[in-house]
Amino acid sequence: MGLMDRVPMPQPVKFILNWGRRYSLWVMNFGLACCAIEFIAASTSKHDFIRLGVIPFAHGPRQADLLIVAGTLTDKMAPALKRVYDQIPDPKYVISFGSCSNCGGPYWDSYSVTKGVDQFVPIDVYVPGCPPRPEALLQGIVKLQEKIAGEDIREKWSGKLTQPAPTG
Amino acid sequence: MAERLRAQFGDDIAELDDNNHGHVVATVAPERYRELALLVRDDPQIGCDFFDFTTAVDRKEAGYEVVTHVTSSHTALGVRMKVLCAGEEPRCPSVADIWPGANWHERETWEMFGIVFEGHPHLVKLVLPEQFEGYPLRKSFELMSRVAKPWPGDQEIPD
Repeated sequence: MGLMDRVPMPQPVKFILNWGRRYSLWVMNFGLACCAIEFIAASTSKHDFIRLGVIPFAHGPRQADLLIVAGTLTDKMAPALKRVYDQIPDPKYVISFGSCSNCGGPYWDSYSVTKGVDQFVPIDVYVPGCPPRPEALLQGIVKLQEKIAGEDIREKWSGKLTQPAPTG
Repeated sequence: MAERLRAQFGDDIAELDDNNHGHVVATVAPERYRELALLVRDDPQIGCDFFDFTTAVDRKEAGYEVVTHVTSSHTALGVRMKVLCAGEEPRCPSVADIWPGANWHERETWEMFGIVFEGHPHLVKLVLPEQFEGYPLRKSFELMSRVAKPWPGDQEIPD
């Protein structure tokens, strides 16, 4: 990464970079079930997450910064999600939206549902609910933005920051 | 119609209900399943030209019951054909050449219950991942999550 690897970044520069990234999150919607409808509701005029700087419907994963996994992921679909995640350029963030992608949800004993997307993709924020209301997604986005604000870019780009955001 | 089926199939139709919510329900012996299928499709009075679905029911000791439902686009009739296939590797004749719509339904029934449809043109997995092992809709299929964690609900689920 050049210069950033060698010198510690001055605080103002860090602030500006994080500020820029937290308010321009191009989002890739990995919509799989009813949660995808809540995601769409959150993106439209009533809840409108564009006011938080989240820009919906990136043209593809290569243009996105944020991946929102909304819905029931099956084992057969999992490789496709992993591929989308791998295509997103760093730095990237993932929100797991809804019980199904958090842990399998009501399909906890199913033969086909992946019990938690975090098994193969690092998750930044978990949004619980079945499905969560659009407001819950807004809260999750705010949490993620708080996380980005406090982030050390060098650490993020080295891939160490893969823990879920502290809540409460 | 019930008399017609009785006259042609005799005891090979084990159960016959000629007005089950407006549909005819017939349990037929496996070897005469295709004959019945051709009859309900080609007979002008029955004319079941529209394939609705194929699925199966796990009857445990009795075997696996393949259920095929067809309806007619012009006589308003519906016929449900049931075939009881015994054994751990049940076999059932395919009707995919009679109603092309049965093709995918039989593939799904095969991968979910392990019922082999004889004469099916392309019996490979449809919705399950290729590496999946076992037949998940069989009663005997072990749900690994349930092994690790017992059913957490207040009420037991009957089989």
